[in-house]
Amino acid sequence: MTQPLLQHICQVIYDSHVGTMIRESDYAFSIIESVHVLAITLLVGSISILDLRMLGLILREIPVTRVSRAVFPITWTGFAVMLTSGLLLFWAEAAKNYLNPAFRIKLLLLLLVGLNPLIFHTSIYRRVAEWELQHRSPWRARAAAIASLTLWSGIIVAGRAIAYF
Amino acid sequence: MLAAQHWFELLSQSPLGLYMQTSRWAFAVVEMVHLLAIAALGGSVLLIDLRLLGVILKGESAKSIGRDLGRILLGSLVVLIFSGIGLLSEESMKCYFSPAFRWKMALLASSIVFYFTIHRRALNRAGTASPGIGQRTIAVISMLLWLGVGVAGRAIGLI
Repeated sequence: MTQPLLQHICQVIYDSHVGTMIRESDYAFSIIESVHVLAITLLVGSISILDLRMLGLILREIPVTRVSRAVFPITWTGFAVMLTSGLLLFWAEAAKNYLNPAFRIKLLLLLLVGLNPLIFHTSIYRRVAEWELQHRSPWRARAAAIASLTLWSGIIVAGRAIAYF
Repeated sequence: MLAAQHWFELLSQSPLGLYMQTSRWAFAVVEMVHLLAIAALGGSVLLIDLRLLGVILKGESAKSIGRDLGRILLGSLVVLIFSGIGLLSEESMKCYFSPAFRWKMALLASSIVFYFTIHRRALNRAGTASPGIGQRTIAVISMLLWLGVGVAGRAIGLI
């Protein structure tokens, strides 16, 4: 085998029936891509509201847990649709994506943005009852909020950049 | 209609237009800013309207949610309009003749007028009781109008 295993797998996915169908259809790719953008709006638009609440910029009078309970169903719905549509887009472009620097950066950022809530929920958020009423959340929650805003912005930028490489 | 066409021609020949047309990365960067602002606007519209619908944060004042999230909505709207003018200057004649662009502008104008009039009044009047049919209708219309702006905007690049 002359190419790395991962690249080979991407090529197999790319050449598959479904991948080829999405790629060669007149509308499929554009429609899936539009759904993908809409899902990202749901996900990032909703989670950033919680981030801004923890930073003390908006909705200060509402406890953090009330905001998170309102926001999480939207965030998770957006995430599920984003992931599904994203996998379909990858299916159609896997072999190209493998070599695309923007795609690689996006995957890296997605990994980091996944770690962020894992750390957040197993640390400072466990004691949220103690600080949920504070207008400005403790610094560790604010750090998580800034990380979330920065990483998600980076993901949108990197995601858009995939088409330019 | 000739007058409108004249403005679009002026924009495409302006220094901004010439810069956007010749720079390698300007369009991409402005488009990314446009996308980030769309996420911020979409999130705030959705939360405000779900509150009006009585789906989330029912116990909290709709007026203060509308005021706080309205700041994000208007802030991102300003970013969207300025980045939008930048994007428009790169391909203004294409946009002038694009039905999708015309739809987008009509829907955008409707969304903004609706937001500052009927929608604003509904937010101020909304109590913590279960919302009536009128208030729910206003929330749904608002979501559909803003969604329409986004869909028409996406369509500019496709048709």
